[in-house]
Amino acid sequence: MKWKVLEKSELPALVAKLTEEYEVFAPVKEKNIVSFERLSSENQAYLDFWNTKKPPKDVFFPQTETLFTYRIAEKDVEIVEIPAAKGKRVLFGVRPCDARSFVLLNKFFSSGEHKDVYYLEKRRNTTIFGLACTSPRSTCFCTSLGGSPFGKDGMDLLLQDINDKYLIETITEKGEELVEKFPSLKDAEKADVERAKKLSEDAETAVKSKVSVKDVSEKLDRMFEDPLWDQIYQKCLGCGICTFLCPTCCCFDILDEETVEGKRVKIWDSCQFSCFTLHGSGHNPRSSGKERMRQRIMHKFNYFVNDFSEIFCVGCGRCVQECPVNLDIREIIGAISARQAE
Amino acid sequence: MKTAEKEWSPKILAFLCNWCSYAGADLAGISRMQYPPNIRVVRVPCSGRVNPYFIIKALQRGWDGVLVSGCHPGDCHYISGNLVARRRFAVLKDLLEYVGIEPRRLNFSWVSAAEGEKFANVVKDVVEKVKALGSAKRLVKR
Amino acid sequence: MEDLENLIREIAKKLLSEKKVDLIIGYEQGTLPLHTTPCFVDKAEDVKKLVWNASCDANLSKYVVDRKEKVGVIAKGCDARLIAVCAIEKQFPRENVVIIGIPCLGVVDRKKIETKLGDREVLEAIVEDEQIKVKGEGFELVLQKNDFLCDSCLTCRHRNSPIYDVFVGKKVPEVKGANEFAEVSSLESKSAEERWKHFKEELSKCIRCYACRNVCPLCYCKMCFVDQTMPAWFGKTNDLSDTMIYHIVRAFHVAGRCVDCGACSRACPMDINLRELMKKTEKIMKERYSYEAGVSLKEVPPLGEFKMEDSQEFIK
Repeated sequence: MKWKVLEKSELPALVAKLTEEYEVFAPVKEKNIVSFERLSSENQAYLDFWNTKKPPKDVFFPQTETLFTYRIAEKDVEIVEIPAAKGKRVLFGVRPCDARSFVLLNKFFSSGEHKDVYYLEKRRNTTIFGLACTSPRSTCFCTSLGGSPFGKDGMDLLLQDINDKYLIETITEKGEELVEKFPSLKDAEKADVERAKKLSEDAETAVKSKVSVKDVSEKLDRMFEDPLWDQIYQKCLGCGICTFLCPTCCCFDILDEETVEGKRVKIWDSCQFSCFTLHGSGHNPRSSGKERMRQRIMHKFNYFVNDFSEIFCVGCGRCVQECPVNLDIREIIGAISARQAE
Repeated sequence: MKTAEKEWSPKILAFLCNWCSYAGADLAGISRMQYPPNIRVVRVPCSGRVNPYFIIKALQRGWDGVLVSGCHPGDCHYISGNLVARRRFAVLKDLLEYVGIEPRRLNFSWVSAAEGEKFANVVKDVVEKVKALGSAKRLVKR
Repeated sequence: MEDLENLIREIAKKLLSEKKVDLIIGYEQGTLPLHTTPCFVDKAEDVKKLVWNASCDANLSKYVVDRKEKVGVIAKGCDARLIAVCAIEKQFPRENVVIIGIPCLGVVDRKKIETKLGDREVLEAIVEDEQIKVKGEGFELVLQKNDFLCDSCLTCRHRNSPIYDVFVGKKVPEVKGANEFAEVSSLESKSAEERWKHFKEELSKCIRCYACRNVCPLCYCKMCFVDQTMPAWFGKTNDLSDTMIYHIVRAFHVAGRCVDCGACSRACPMDINLRELMKKTEKIMKERYSYEAGVSLKEVPPLGEFKMEDSQEFIK
């Protein structure tokens, strides 16, 4: 693992050089909203934010993705597959919580016999260049979920702001490969690395919001019919904000658009939508908000733990910030955690 | 085979109510009245059957203009279908124009079964106006 | 408004203990500063949870439809009007709902405060009658509440709920003469080309989360048009044409029923100015049919009826 120094004034040039060799996705500010966009001559990277509005999952798992196009001809159906994006990409400016989400998404998309090539291909071709958090927000709770503001899970290299300059820490081979394209970068001094470690500790202490998840999954094993669900779902509107802005939520729907000449598309779906589990017969096993809210909590804090031994949440706090009725997942987990263990 | 360069000609989707406007269009045909061949007719039982979604979907599919024609108020075969439709179309037209769809893409008329000439004139007028706008691009789904 | 808060609690306690209602729907303190959250109280002793201040922005009329029990709901002017519209549209038995009217001087727009503070996060806030005191790391500010009200509140003509069964406290004077259609008129004065460009740009930010639809009390359809399949009317992808159509059709569906409560714009995570689209439908209804939604329990919304003399200047 290498530690390099980058002068603050040199960051734009570094990013510009990256765009020459890679397709670069970075946070871009549009009016008051910062989200990941493809960098081009029309925009530039913006790093002065807590976290982006939308998580970076759509770089690997786009909200709308055409799988193939088709034409129903006289005797058969002609299918034209969309070739996988081959070019090398860099995803720059990813917060450690979002980078950790990729570890979890990887488990999901590569599980089982049929791996999701659409996600995996893009992920394989991408170098993830993280951005450490020096001032977490009051709604951040990454440390309760196995993450931290300077965390390195799921990324290839990490940019750290140590006040008067940046440090770049390479984490994987891919990260080292990227840094080698900038031979003029000097090695960091021991004092710089020490300062980064101190800032990392400070940032972890600054994450004030704590959620106890120690035995939540176990407790949920016995809570499917619990009266808790009757209470907490009532104010939920059933919109898709929490799921769409969640870095780990990845439910999708597959639709065919048009009839004779068309395309098959994969789009984001949400377990909170009323039609999510609507069967062709008309029956809906999750016909009310109660079942859907239960599903969300169980999936993230129980089913995913049973399947992949990880909680399917990284504590980024976006759902807490953006829910129109201030439904707070931390409160719900707190209520479950406070249950007596049997 | 020679490929001739065709000059663009608007395609207009016309919803005609069975009892008045469709009959009026029929009369125009029987009377050999000339009018532009740019309309494609969909016969509906009543102008009130026309769902605003039909009009919006037509624009999305690339139709350059839409015409909806029904019985005069008071003469609807189903008594009030056209009166219900009138408010619906007023709101839809105002809203679509506000969003930026060119005003002359959406057209509405009352044409009775005896008004063959009026029908031909309405079509001429609509085709002329839509031709001036050029082919539809806004709301078209690629 | 301290005394209103206590009055609400008293009224709620009375309604519950006299069994006039099974449930009170109001607001309680949220988990974040400047937030309140919908509160469902079914026991008289829990009424102390109920609060009232200018961060009570949620539209509680959303929770009134489809209920079997009797409910009492705190209804600001806009909320009460929406309950009235849903009552006219027979979405619940009128006798099952006790509308608790309340005078409202506007709700705070958090996005405006966030813009003002930039990268300073509010950690504590006290919302008072005239001022909002905000505190964070290394700063403490007093903001003038009226500078940070939601846009829909700036031209509100129904600060007192026009329809109610019980009214909390004293009515406040209504503001007259504010030009509520200024934004719409300004857009109308532009060319079709400019308007198209504007709406295209604004609506291209949409991520189809449907928060605007789900927060709207008027969107109570069991199957929304956008969710219909076999056949599908319009697509559910991010395609710009489909996205713009979703918003245009939703505006058409709330035409004559929308009261500009502003909930859709407030809920939108991408900060799309939906009000300037929805507000146009209000203007159309006022100008063509002299109609104002939700001020009377007897009038049917315009698209639910017709008159022989309706305007038809657009028909050849």
